Amino acid sequence: MSSKVEFPFPFTSDHYEYTNNSSPLIPARTVTVSSNYVEEVRLKRKLLEENHERCYRSLPISLESQWETLLLVFRELATYEPEHFSFKRRGNTYVFTNHLLQEEETFVYRDHSSIDFEPLDLVGRHVQEDLIVMGDRHDGLFLEAGQLCFPSNWSLTFVLGMEFKTIHTPVPAIAEFIEKVERFITRIRPNTAWERKNWSITISHKLDTPLETYSDWGKLRYHVTKENAGELVNLRVEVQRLFRLPVTNDILFSIHTYLLPLNELVANDDWLKKFYTNVKTLPQELADYKGISLYKPELLGFLEKALKRRKIER
Amino acid sequence: MKDRYQVKVEQIKQVTPQIKAFTLSSETAVDPFGAGAHLTLHLPMGDRQYSLINNPLEMTNDYQIAVKKVSANGGSHYLHEHLEVGDSVLVSGPDNYFPVHLEAQHVIFFAAGIGITPFLSMMPYLSTLGKTFELHYAVKNVESCPFYEELLKYTEQVFFYSGSREEKKKQVREALENRKIGTHVYVCGPETFMEMVVDTTRELRFPSRVVHEERFRPAAKIRNPKPFRVTVNGGDELLVKENESLLERLLDEGYPVSYACRMGICGSCEVTVCGGEVIHSDTFLTEKEKENKMLSCVSRGVGEIAINVVETNSM
Ligand code: HEM
Ligand code: FES
Repeated sequence: MSSKVEFPFPFTSDHYEYTNNSSPLIPARTVTVSSNYVEEVRLKRKLLEENHERCYRSLPISLESQWETLLLVFRELATYEPEHFSFKRRGNTYVFTNHLLQEEETFVYRDHSSIDFEPLDLVGRHVQEDLIVMGDRHDGLFLEAGQLCFPSNWSLTFVLGMEFKTIHTPVPAIAEFIEKVERFITRIRPNTAWERKNWSITISHKLDTPLETYSDWGKLRYHVTKENAGELVNLRVEVQRLFRLPVTNDILFSIHTYLLPLNELVANDDWLKKFYTNVKTLPQELADYKGISLYKPELLGFLEKALKRRKIER
Repeated sequence: MKDRYQVKVEQIKQVTPQIKAFTLSSETAVDPFGAGAHLTLHLPMGDRQYSLINNPLEMTNDYQIAVKKVSANGGSHYLHEHLEVGDSVLVSGPDNYFPVHLEAQHVIFFAAGIGITPFLSMMPYLSTLGKTFELHYAVKNVESCPFYEELLKYTEQVFFYSGSREEKKKQVREALENRKIGTHVYVCGPETFMEMVVDTTRELRFPSRVVHEERFRPAAKIRNPKPFRVTVNGGDELLVKENESLLERLLDEGYPVSYACRMGICGSCEVTVCGGEVIHSDTFLTEKEKENKMLSCVSRGVGEIAINVVETNSM
């Protein structure tokens, strides 16, 4: 990805801590079509083809929310990107046309025999986002379905059916905070959306970094040097959206992942400075969790060199 | 969720001598809703909430509500006497504080009188999904009860109660006894009826989380609200008048308090209490939280209180 203009730079202050950095999104949207649309959707489909079990999981209780998501996202695409998508209804039959891929999907609402994949698995093949359905049950918020091709070091198989708080146990010192976040989510009103950004770092320009293939991509963390960091290291930002599905009252959680190579990041003085101070002051346990500790000195060395070259005071 | 838009009255139907059903439609697409959802109508005499009664899966760009005429000059009177086909109404929503939980193995609805309305969307919805439910309906007179024809569709699943209070109590208890784990209970009707059902579920040890109550009004609406003084963030001193809420005062003064329901249900408008006595009137905070928090849309201080208002998203 090289479209710096659309990169959602995540840092707003000089240091980073976990906060509920969610804000309401008006109009309420769940997906974004970026300039890498075709390339990333093709990659998603390839991953789904090759590793379906790893990239798609669902529980039967999620089916109603899956149908709701299918209608919602197709409608949204046709409404906000009418030059690329259209969506028509003839009686009970719907036709979605994807002009970017020259494809058409025809289905009868809530008729499983009318589609080849489960509804979430189908609609996810037309967007760049990973899509997760969180069931809002009387005793918590549970991960009940997901199409997940681009996770940042987590496993869909592992979290399927898990409760929101439990999903977050690997995150350091988050227990009390995440309980409040859960209450915040339970208060989200129907048909409204909230957006937040999460960030981490990926070594190499790779979107698909699931826990299952850690042995392939994780070892690259040992190869970072002050010299190659500009090419090898990418700032990874997830734009996450929470949307309350009005009919089932469940939550649709979408994740759009963006990667920016550091060579491009450092060309923006403000970004360079903010990124540098955030990494430098990142608490040890967060650096460990995000996998940065292994190459933090090399990374800081690279950034300091860039600051010096651009005559920016630290 | 849409805030304040116009819909048109497309149809008015006399359901019983006291109840009219209104179909509201729009030329632009209206938002989908879930069973148990309600619409807020902004009427000259104030805001009123009414449950949507159509099947969410068969909604064709219209909202249907049913309104019982209760007093001579309230919102229901206005809707009954002044609203005609073709008129416009200002509305917000739909919103939903009474959603159906699909994880239920079986659902028991308890309704009294016009409290039937949320179940009119839930029953066809659950039927479409092939889920089991039953309705226990307390009415004055069975044949002339609201939506009698409608309910006949579910003969096997509907049980009418029309006896004395004692008889009803006994029937409610019988209906709730020996239920399987995974049964969810939904109640809507007058306060005394809801209390009776909820108390019975407690006696029978239903987990409180499977007992769902429809509450449009705060649990304990504060009668005769009195003015009170508030110190905010250790600085500003404000006076909240008897006819306004703390939330309204804070918003007027430019404090960034978020809010959604304004009914003490959603918890959005929480502020921290650092001193003074508070009358809580919400249905959201836990007892523990009430020790140092209040929901500014409904709860009020006594005399003088001190609060802290933090920025919307920090937790
Ligand atoms: C409701 C949908 C959500 C799902 C399914 C979800 C899932 C996850 C998962 C799987 C992880 C990685 C855990 C691991 O290391 O194994 C994670 C990390 C995290 N989540 Fe969530 N999450 C959700 C919403 C949120 C929200 C709304 C917030 C905050 C407002 C949040 C805050 C965090 C934080 C701070 C981390 C650590 C990320 C890092 O430092 O890189 N999550 N989440
Ligand atoms: S605004 Fe919902 S509780 Fe106050």
